[in-house]
Parts: sequence; structure tokens; C-alpha cells
Amino acid sequence: MAQASQRIRNFSIIAHIDHGKSTLADRLIEYTGALSKREMEEQVLDSMDLERERGITIKLQAVQLSYKANNGEVYELNLIDTPGHVDFTYEVSRSLAACEGALLVVDAVQGIEAQTLANVYLALENNLEIISVINKIDLPSAEPERVKEEIEEVIGLDASEAILASAKTGIGIEEILERIVTMVPPPQGEDQAPLKALIFDSKFDAYKGAISYVRIVEGRVSKGTKMKMMATGKVFEVTEVGVFAPAMRIIEELKAGQVGFIAASIKNVKDTQVGDTITDAENSAPEPLPGYRQATPMVFCGLYPVDASDYNRLRDSLEKLHLNDASLVFEPETSVALGFGYRCGFLGLLHMEIVQERLEREYDLNMITTAPSVIYKVHTLKGEVISIDNPSNLPPIESIVSIEEPVVKATILVPSEYVGAIMELNQEKRGTYFTMDYVSKSRVKLIYELPLSEIVFDYFDQLKSRTKGYASLDYELTGYKETDLVKIDVLLNGEMVDALSFIIHRAKSYNRGRKLVEKLRGIIPRQMFEIPIQSVIGNKVIARETVSALRKDVLSKCYGGDISRKRKLLEKQKVGKKRMNQVGNVAIPQDAFMAVLKIDD
Amino acid sequence: MPSLYIHVPFCVKKCDYCAFYSQALINSSEDLIGVYLEGLEIEMAKRRKDAPQGVSSLFIGGGTPTALQDRDLAHLMAMIQRNFHWNPEVEYTIEGNPGTITPAKLTILRSYGINRFSLGVQAFDDKLLSAVGRRHTARQAREAIGHLRTAGFNNLNLDLMFGLPAQDLSRWQASLEEALAYAPEHLSLYGLMLEEGTPLYKRYTAETREKTLNQLPDDDLQAEMQEWAVQRLKEEGYTHYETSNFARPGYECRHNLGYWRGEDYLGFGPGGVSCLNRVRWKIIEDVRVYRSRLQSGQDLADEAGQEPLALQECMAERMILGLRLEEGVNLTAFKNDFGVDLRDIYRDVLERYKAQDVFKIKGDFLCLNPRYSFVANSILQEFV
Repeated sequence: MAQASQRIRNFSIIAHIDHGKSTLADRLIEYTGALSKREMEEQVLDSMDLERERGITIKLQAVQLSYKANNGEVYELNLIDTPGHVDFTYEVSRSLAACEGALLVVDAVQGIEAQTLANVYLALENNLEIISVINKIDLPSAEPERVKEEIEEVIGLDASEAILASAKTGIGIEEILERIVTMVPPPQGEDQAPLKALIFDSKFDAYKGAISYVRIVEGRVSKGTKMKMMATGKVFEVTEVGVFAPAMRIIEELKAGQVGFIAASIKNVKDTQVGDTITDAENSAPEPLPGYRQATPMVFCGLYPVDASDYNRLRDSLEKLHLNDASLVFEPETSVALGFGYRCGFLGLLHMEIVQERLEREYDLNMITTAPSVIYKVHTLKGEVISIDNPSNLPPIESIVSIEEPVVKATILVPSEYVGAIMELNQEKRGTYFTMDYVSKSRVKLIYELPLSEIVFDYFDQLKSRTKGYASLDYELTGYKETDLVKIDVLLNGEMVDALSFIIHRAKSYNRGRKLVEKLRGIIPRQMFEIPIQSVIGNKVIARETVSALRKDVLSKCYGGDISRKRKLLEKQKVGKKRMNQVGNVAIPQDAFMAVLKIDD
Repeated sequence: MPSLYIHVPFCVKKCDYCAFYSQALINSSEDLIGVYLEGLEIEMAKRRKDAPQGVSSLFIGGGTPTALQDRDLAHLMAMIQRNFHWNPEVEYTIEGNPGTITPAKLTILRSYGINRFSLGVQAFDDKLLSAVGRRHTARQAREAIGHLRTAGFNNLNLDLMFGLPAQDLSRWQASLEEALAYAPEHLSLYGLMLEEGTPLYKRYTAETREKTLNQLPDDDLQAEMQEWAVQRLKEEGYTHYETSNFARPGYECRHNLGYWRGEDYLGFGPGGVSCLNRVRWKIIEDVRVYRSRLQSGQDLADEAGQEPLALQECMAERMILGLRLEEGVNLTAFKNDFGVDLRDIYRDVLERYKAQDVFKIKGDFLCLNPRYSFVANSILQEFV
């Protein structure tokens, strides 16, 4: 074993949103002098604007810190940041697999949240040494003792040694660094063995191609190495290797135990899949590292440009995002109501929102988004099983034997006073109760099975509003279940508006169908003629409303002094109307397509 | 021959819904009217050449032309008469508001040949009047009508408004019935429009107590008011010759017909708009700047400058104005003016609305089916 790897420590930080992960990372970087205070932009690791605004990490980052410990030795500490959201559980598991230790950061006021819990379990599964840090102890309402109790109760970790810290004021930073050196084991792994490098993230660079962020588990890699991706079998020649300091710095060689990057002029980010193992094509490892799987989208929606002439720009923008995000999938789709657009698949709701927001902000696109859908498995009379990610593609009712929908195991942590509210919510959401445990005197952990489609609908909003924001949720896909599902279509003036179709449990269909037409009646402006709005299942009308004809829409005055102004007013109204979508004779405002999402059951 | 419009940008106080350029005189110590009249003298001397054959009609509007004192009013009339060929056959209109009308002023106007008067009554209902910041009372309106008839005005228009805060159908009916009792030759019935920048707009777009207490009638109620009025005036023998205008046969407003038929017009005074040979421009809306530019020989146009109208825009305007008229757009005139048949150039639009029977051809005119005259905007948008 090389002497050098004895002075390497690889660790990540596990924390809930807002519990101070990014601030803590910044303090560690600052303390070890990787960047001077002046050079540091606030929260270095969250480099996207969106991440900074939302206070969450979307893309993983890594940074190498050089720390002179109290024992006089200089250590190389590699911090691998993890995204803090349920959509990215797989990515989290891979970055944890690249570490030997983790800092568990818990807010001294809020206590443990569901997301944190899920990630700690992941870390324990990966045999990581966990160092508990209770953050924000400078706050007057901090309750470190209660939080310690929770850590012991919920996770079963000894919290007596937990470090009391404040990333904001710098309390406890040195203690954290010392503890990493003494507690986290140095990486094992033979640098003379065949190369095994775990890809925990990748990024596209216009000059270097797709860059793999790796942890070298065994062996070594340098410029010129013929490397092989073990999942795909593709071979590339390494053009450079380096470390994150935190900017990318090219070095001679990466060896077992180290964290860094590998560039090999790879054109497509799909060839650098998270979880894949890189080996040496000329001296291959017999088997890859465990745990690889392909990222599979769970939530789908249609994205349509408001202005049809933006279609190509939408495609180019999706392709650009895809360069850095292999989990985003999309393919062309046509809607009668919305024209040409794309069906896009996402890891989850947050991933979807992030992509939408980036398209709007970074690419300046104005889009209509259809209601998100999950993938349904449809068994037909012919004995086929079809996967449906767009409700309007559901085969006719008479050819369907049964429909299965995805279900998840959901873990909810909540103050005990809200247990009733959560149970009621889960009841409404067709949940199945599994277990309930007290994690401390005042907090409860509930486990339910829930249909993913219910989570996608408005679960988060409901969870937040019914618990004043105190509940946290984590979920994992557990499989498919046969359910009594139906498709509701909406007809305007007798014409079907495909983008408004949705799949729903039969028991909820009448209520939702009625609420939707009521909602649409409020959104669709009165027009020159009367517009019937109907929701139907198959040929059966389940609800009907009517938008009555417009009775007054006229400029009361128009004389010589304001002819130009009145003409321009009409031009403006015309532009406004053009922004609406036309189905048959009916102009439909964009809000209508979001209405499906905003209905209380 | 263009028509002539003189803008008199003064009011005792501006009404809360008004977006036109006008200076309130109520708290002003300056002699702004003097400044205005000085400017107007120079402007007329300079621009009279644009109407070498005289004018097809005259409209003195505002603001409130009758807010001028006797002496200033006489000065204004003399100036117009000096500069433009005067023909007693031509329609000469002035508008005014109750509360500013005296027998003396009317005598002056009659003596200079004004033969039509347009009175801003709006409602015979003091509560409604004060709700929109009008200074006069219903009683003053009644008195003014008496003075006007006494002075010999036999072509009288009354302006009425519907859709006022807290107005309901019966209050609207009461105002209109009272107006009919005076047998005016002409009636203009305007739905209240909330214009941006006006005090009323501000009060009714924010969440105010007033907005809750004195609600604006919704579109359906306004439509009922309008439909009731159309029916009632028809019974009384008025023609509904334009969206908001009604007249006894032969008393249609010549001056306004000119606008709706796309004829040229000259506008004088600050805020006045001219449209001559497909160029439109507006005089800067500032009395002092107006005079000083005239004194130093500078261009009078506001920041928009001279706006040359594209052929497309001219045609669009001909349609959106012409379709306000019961008679509609004249096919021959359209062809003569633009070199194309409107049935060809707007074929698509005419086709699209065929099923709903929106357009009609009557002789040499294309007009709107009266059923759609109060929902015309969505149709008119097709032409712009």
C-alpha cells in the first residue's frame, strides 16, 4: 500500500435543505485555504444560480482540501457534495460509495428530516464512518440535547461525541476537520491493481468533452491510458486527469484513494454514466464496482413552445441541457391543442421543475407545460403490456384488461401533533399505512405506500400546507400495482383537447372531472359564441359547464384624436389572443393547461 | 375638404375617468388661457393653408370649451372665423358642460354661427355624477338644456354614460328617460371605460373601499343597459347609426361621420390630432411649450412625431371605424382609396365568420350584423 493514501480522507456531507450544508462546505474550504476569503464567492459548491436561489444542490461537485492536522501531518481531504433531494437518491448513493466517511449535519433547531434519514441509511449501507455535527448552535432556539436524542433514537448512532458547530460563525470547524482526520478511515485499495474508478458525476465541457468525476478505487490512471467504460464497453484514450482545487487542476496521475476528474474527448455525456466503472482497456478489472444502474425517468410531461417558431430553439436547448444531464430524456410529440413540442422524462418533480426553469431563464423560452404523468403499464386484450407516459396515448377503454401504476414507499417525519393531518392526507391520496414510530418525544416517523401519481399531483404542497411546513418526505419506488384507473378527456365546444387528458383512479374521477370543468369555466374567457365544456370518460359525459357568449366587447368611443391608440389597442388584444391556443373555434389561455394541476380534491 | 377640430384643453376640474389632455383651471392662478389663445393665433395663421377650400365641418371640443369666459370665447370664435372660410350650411359644433353654460356665452356662440351643441350630461343623477368626479348637478344640466333651447340651438346632442359606479338598470333607465323628455336631436351613449392613468382607474384597480361599496356594473349588466337603450331609442324614432351614437334622421353628426368614413381632418390646439394624406400627428400636450414653439417657429408635433400610416394600417382603420357605422364600409370608396376590393383582401376573415353570419353586404356597403355590434372587438382584431 502506498504511503500517500494513508493521508487521504474522502467524505461527503449529509444534510437536509437549509440545514447549512453549503455554508459548512464554504467554511471548510476557507479554513483550509483552498480559496482566500476574497476569492470565494458565497457558497462555492452550489454553482448554478438556481441552486443558490433554492438553497439546494442539483449537480454534484467535489473539492480537494489540503489540511495540516494537529499531529503535524498534511492531509488531502476530498469533499464530495451530494444533491439533497429525493429525485436524486441514486446519485447520492454513488457519491456516498465514493467516500469512507460522512458528516451528518443536523440543524440544532429543526432536528432530523426524512431526507437526511434516507441519506444516512444509504451511508450506513455503504459502511461509511459517520460524524455527527449539530449545526446552527448559535441560534437562540437551538436545542442540541433534543437533537442528540433524535440522532440516537432514530438512527441509532452514539451522539454523545456530536460536534456542536455553527458554520455561520465558524464554531467547531477545526474540530470537524480534526475528527475527519482521526475518525474517517484512509481509503483502502491497491494502486498496483487493475484500474477501477467509480463515476459519481459527469459534466460536459465544450473543449474537453464529457468529463467524468471519479473516485479511484484501485489502480492508477494518467494521460494516454486506454480506458474502458465497463457498462457500455466503450473505450476512450485519456487526454487529461486532475483534481478539484476547487477549480480543475491537471495533474500527472490519479491513484487509488484519490478523487478527481478524467477527460477523454468523450462526445456524449451518455458515455459517462453515473455509477459506471472505468477500467484500463489493456489491463481490465475482472468485474465492475457494484451498484450501477441506469437512471430511469419516473415523471413525464409535455413541453410546448408558446410561440410555435421557438420549436427548434426548444430542441436545441433540451439538447444542451442533456449534455450535462443524461437523466433528462425527450422525444418529439404533437398535440392538437398545443402543436409541436416534446415529451420529456425526469427523475422526479424537482428535476422537472429545474429543467423547466432553466429552459425559461437560461434559454429564454416561453413554454406551456402539460400536467405531469407517471408511466402506466397497460395490459391489453391482445395480451400485450404497453407503457404509457402520456394519457392521451391510452388505448381505447374496450381494449384494456387492466392498468398498473407505480407505487412508492414513503417515509414522513413530522411533529406528532400533525399525525392526524398526515393520515388524512394519505387517506385522500390512496395511501396504505405501514408503520408509525416515535423518533423522539414529539416527533413521529410514518411509513406509507402511496401511488406515485398522487405524489406527482399536489402531494408536496398539501404536505407543507397541512403541517405548516414541518413535515419532510422521502420516497422510493417499490413497484407496480394494478388499480382501477380511468382516463378523463376534456371537450371544448365538442372538440377534444388532448393536452388536458389525464388518468385517475375511478373513485376520484367524477369529483375531479367536475372540479376541472368548473375551473376551466373560470379560465376560458367568454367568446363570441357559447362554449360547452365537458369532461368525459370514454363516451360518457361526467360533468358539463358552459361559458356563456360574450355580450359586451366594444370600444365605446373612437374619434379622430385616438384612432391610432385604439388601433394599437386592438393590435395588442390580437397579440394576446394569439398567445392563446386554438382548438376548433375556441381560444384557450395557457392557464387552462395548468388548471389540471391545481384542483383540490 | 378636411374637417376642423379645435382642442380647448381646459376644464374647471378634470373628471375622474378622463384621459384626454386638459388643464384644470380650479386652482390655477396663471393666465393659461391667454397663453393658449396667443398660440392658437399663430398656429391658425400658419396652418390655415391646409384648408384652402374651407372645412367640411367644425368641432370645438376639449376639455370644456365653455369653461372659457365670455371674452375669451368671443376671441376664439372670431379667430376661427377670420382664418377659415365660413359657410352657414356647414355643421359647427361646440361641446360644453352644465355649470359652465350661461345665456351670455350661448348668445356669443350663436352670433358667430355655431349651429350644434353637444352637452355632457352623463347622468341626471347627482350621486352618479359625484361618484365619477363631475362637478355639476342634474339640476344644472336641466338649466343648461333650457338655456340652449332658448338660445335657439335646434341641433342638440346629449352625452350620457352607462356602466357608472353603483349604477343599476333602473337608474340608467331614469337618466335616459329624462334625456328623451328634452327631445334631443342626437344622443351619444357611452359605456364607461377605465383608462389607465386616470384617478378612477387607480381607485378601481386597487382594493379600495369605494370599489367594494360602489361596484362597477359587470359586462352583462352593461350589455343589458345598452340593449335596453337601443330598443327604447328605436321606439322613439332615433337611428342607431354608430356603435354609441343615435340621431333623429338627418341629424347624424357630420363631423364624426368624417372620422368614421376615413376622411382627412385637421386638429388645432395642444393635444389636437391631424390626419392629412395618410400622415397623422398630434400637437404637443403642453400649453406653454405649444406657444413657445409657435413663437420660435419650431415643429409642434409631440414625441411621436409625424406618423406616416402604412397602406395596411389605413385599410385596417377604415374597417375598424367603418364597421362602427350602421351603414358600414363603402366598397367603392375603399377601392378608390386603396386600389383593392376589400372583399378580396379580407376574403379569409369574411369566410371564417360566414357560418355565424357576422358580415353583410348591403348595396355598396359591407356592414356588421347588428347582433354583433357590441361584441365587435374580437372581429375588428382580425383587420389590424
